[in-house]
Amino acid sequence: MTEYEAVIGLETHIQLNTTTKIFCSCKADSWFDPPNSNICPVCSGLPGVLPVLNRAVVEKAVLLAAAMHAEIQTESCFDRKNYFYPDLPKGYQISQYDKPLARGGYLDLPLSDGSCRRVRIHKLHVEEDAGKTKNERGRRLIDFNRCGVPLVEMVTAPDLRSADEAAQYLIRLRQLLRWLGVSEADMEKAHLRCDANVSIRPKGADYLNPKTEIKNVNSIDAVRDAIAKEIERQIREVEAGRRIEAWTLEWDEDSGKLRKMRSKETEADYRYFREPDLLTLHIDDAWKNGILKNLPELPLERRQRFMEQYGLPEYDADLLTGERSLSEYFESAVKAYGGDPKRVSNWMMNDVMRMLNESSRTAAQLQLTPEHLAEILKLLDSGTINTSTAKGLLEKVDASGKAPATIVAEEGLAKVSDDSAIRRVCEEVLTENPKEVQSYKGGKVTLIGWFVGQVMRKMGGKADPSLARQILEELLR
Amino acid sequence: MELCDLPAYELMRLLRQRKISATEILASCLARIETIDGRPGSLEPGEINEEDQQTVHAFITLTDDRARAQAMAVDKKLAAGEDPGRLAGVPFTVKDIFCVQGTRTTAASRILANFVAPYTATPVARMEAEGALMVGKVNLDEFTYGSSNESSAFQPCPRNPWNPQRVPGGSSGGSVASVAAGEAVLSLGTDTAGSIRQPAAFCGVVGLKPTYGRVSRYGLIAFGSSLDCPGPIARNVTDAAMMLQVIAGPDAHDSTAANVPVEDYLAQLEAGVKGLRIGLSPDYFKITYPDERGEYVQQAVPQEFEAAVRHAADLLAKMGAEIIEDVPMPNTRYGIPAYFVISRVEAASNLHRYDGVKYGYRTMEPVRDLNEMYRKTRAEGFGPQPKLRILMGMYVSAAQYSEQYYQRALRVRTLIRRDFDQAFDPNGKYRLHALLTPTTPTTAFPLGAVYGDSVLMQYADQLTVPANHAGVPGISVPGGIATDGLPIGIQFLAADYQEALLLRIARAYEQATEAESWRQLKPMVLQR
Repeated sequence: MTEYEAVIGLETHIQLNTTTKIFCSCKADSWFDPPNSNICPVCSGLPGVLPVLNRAVVEKAVLLAAAMHAEIQTESCFDRKNYFYPDLPKGYQISQYDKPLARGGYLDLPLSDGSCRRVRIHKLHVEEDAGKTKNERGRRLIDFNRCGVPLVEMVTAPDLRSADEAAQYLIRLRQLLRWLGVSEADMEKAHLRCDANVSIRPKGADYLNPKTEIKNVNSIDAVRDAIAKEIERQIREVEAGRRIEAWTLEWDEDSGKLRKMRSKETEADYRYFREPDLLTLHIDDAWKNGILKNLPELPLERRQRFMEQYGLPEYDADLLTGERSLSEYFESAVKAYGGDPKRVSNWMMNDVMRMLNESSRTAAQLQLTPEHLAEILKLLDSGTINTSTAKGLLEKVDASGKAPATIVAEEGLAKVSDDSAIRRVCEEVLTENPKEVQSYKGGKVTLIGWFVGQVMRKMGGKADPSLARQILEELLR
Repeated sequence: MELCDLPAYELMRLLRQRKISATEILASCLARIETIDGRPGSLEPGEINEEDQQTVHAFITLTDDRARAQAMAVDKKLAAGEDPGRLAGVPFTVKDIFCVQGTRTTAASRILANFVAPYTATPVARMEAEGALMVGKVNLDEFTYGSSNESSAFQPCPRNPWNPQRVPGGSSGGSVASVAAGEAVLSLGTDTAGSIRQPAAFCGVVGLKPTYGRVSRYGLIAFGSSLDCPGPIARNVTDAAMMLQVIAGPDAHDSTAANVPVEDYLAQLEAGVKGLRIGLSPDYFKITYPDERGEYVQQAVPQEFEAAVRHAADLLAKMGAEIIEDVPMPNTRYGIPAYFVISRVEAASNLHRYDGVKYGYRTMEPVRDLNEMYRKTRAEGFGPQPKLRILMGMYVSAAQYSEQYYQRALRVRTLIRRDFDQAFDPNGKYRLHALLTPTTPTTAFPLGAVYGDSVLMQYADQLTVPANHAGVPGISVPGGIATDGLPIGIQFLAADYQEALLLRIARAYEQATEAESWRQLKPMVLQR
């Protein structure tokens, strides 16, 4: 039996998180706003209006292009893509065609077997979004809020080989977009949209078979499921001796099924031509360098550095670089702490990240600063507090914003290591519990734990338990 | 002589001396409109009667209430000793292709007949901010697509004040007719292939097409977006300079409005032409067009047109200009074919938005689906000119023809630009300050004579369209009266942003011909 491999390319649209739209000063994000509330003559295509390019769109797109290792073009142009649709108020979309903002580029995907898949893109261009159409009770309702929202389009080469890899690409892309701060990259809110082109071929072949295009997939899981289903279908068809036709398929989230939208016999002719209302976009070195000054170290680079510089295992490094502020938090904490980075990593992965998940915040939003975390670790190392106090302190510092040492002093949380104080309480406990002393002396030495527990309780958990045990054993001897 | 016949600069002088009020100026214009304009253009005109054939019909919408309020505001400022603005009290009309907030903005098309603009075009806003009085929205060829003004969906269409059996030219026909007939002192027009200069020539007024990008297009309903230029129409060069001064300059709403400082157009206006090099080109003394078999044929412009141009050259030479003969402008002949392609590609795309979905006309017929709504709306809403342009624009920009037509036309455009670059190159062979040409190859044609044969009508733009391709400024000024009793226009063309120079040369010519007998002739509609 033939073994097949999938050949997958993804067409992604990324909504940039600028304050205003690409060609007018309307608010860009309308997720929480009623229909047609963020519109003006320009984005709703009234007669006589003209677009004026938002520089912030260019700057965010340039950052992304650089992070994708694409070649930023000093000259790029806008073009009109002409087609009729009610939610496209001008009857054309202003996009970029043959002179895009950036060319080439790639994103590396670390795969689970330790290898790396390089996913290439041909080009990166910016364009305006269209509005939304909703069919309701036989009527077609149009919301222009989304008209003119800035998008970046990136189409990958057919470099992905499985549904999982496609999902991985989107996960890594989402990570990168948030890392750069250029998009909220939330697929459920359509900040990140994806159409998948899927074909199969015998494993090892170097030609491409006819592909199908899957549209309307609104989450990374849905992309994975839809592609997996489509690969299975194509294998079934080919095994049954049928040909794959170039269909456009729609993913039905609810039923988990693909539906045929249309056959693609002919390519639409959008009659592209230069947008005469906009000038050629010049990105000179001064502007480009000004933008790229803000280009941070990229996630995969930082991941590698964390392994090399801090000796972290790949698992830790991957987790800690999942989100930019988390990775920055880690580094700040390591610096403030001065001790073993792995110890910081453990505390972050076990405790800090739990706090983040429980409150759905990012590391940057914690009141517990990296310096606080380092201080708590130092208090623990010096024996001033014990582990359970330290864990409790994380929450207390985050809730109050007070320094850990302050809370320790205010609440008297310091571990009591004063021999005489502990000795006094130990004597009290033994005096108050003669039966247990009797049993212990009769050979039930496991009772020592119970005695320690009593001492800790009397001292509000602040006693050094090992010291208490030592004294108790001495008194019971 | 009534107030409405005075130049703008004279009206403003009298106004500032408090000898007249803005309200009186306006009343004079409104009275003139009442007397000679006849009924305004309408979608349901009925029969064109005898009286209709004797009146001007410049207007689609009279905005007399708006103008009255503006006049009162100017008078109030004057009474309070405040500066009323650089165009205070000057009545003007606006080609109905510009959006003006709260007014019907029709583009002379059924498809926008009910559209009321929610915002004001930049040049109109600038004029109003300087105290000018907006008297009304005037007629034009539908969406500016024409050279006679006959293609308007609003009939009766404007007639030439010099002879109402002739067209005023187009597409800014209502604009020039209103200014020539004293219904307004200034008008804001647009020029995509000659739509300011050609009707200005036909109606004996001054029309200036500025450099592309000198005046903002924001609020101008687009025809050929890479060619469209708003510009002034006036009865004399000084008034045109004053108006350009107000409307020119960068605009945050138009990225193609150049960030080039605006010169003081009045400062050098009377500086004369001494030492300036003014060129004549044989390529502007003939019209080249394909005959029925598609062969190119050449026809010289009528002798009296060449004579008018040569007379102007003689006068300028006497004032100290150097006349340079035989400047080659070899690509002039390709201006019209290239324009046919480029403007229609842009026009077809610009017309996409009129789909019956958001505003404007929507079919009243029952429709089965969206596509049928589009088809019926556009079939009923657009007149023949938009339809022709959509068809041709769609054809020549289709993927399989784009290289052959559209991309080729763009290359031709570059060649036309090169002709001007070489003529105006300060280190080149010709080093011209300006080129002097006839504006048109004919005087105003009779109504109905060319409409319906849109190819021939387009060749009437052969001498004006090169400036639109190249983006350079041009001005048409009255250059005499032909034997048929109709005005002849002469045109000066200059390099980018040389409007001050153009106005200065035109002013020198105007001054030199002030005493000539043809200057005393008045349009027919004013002789009754």
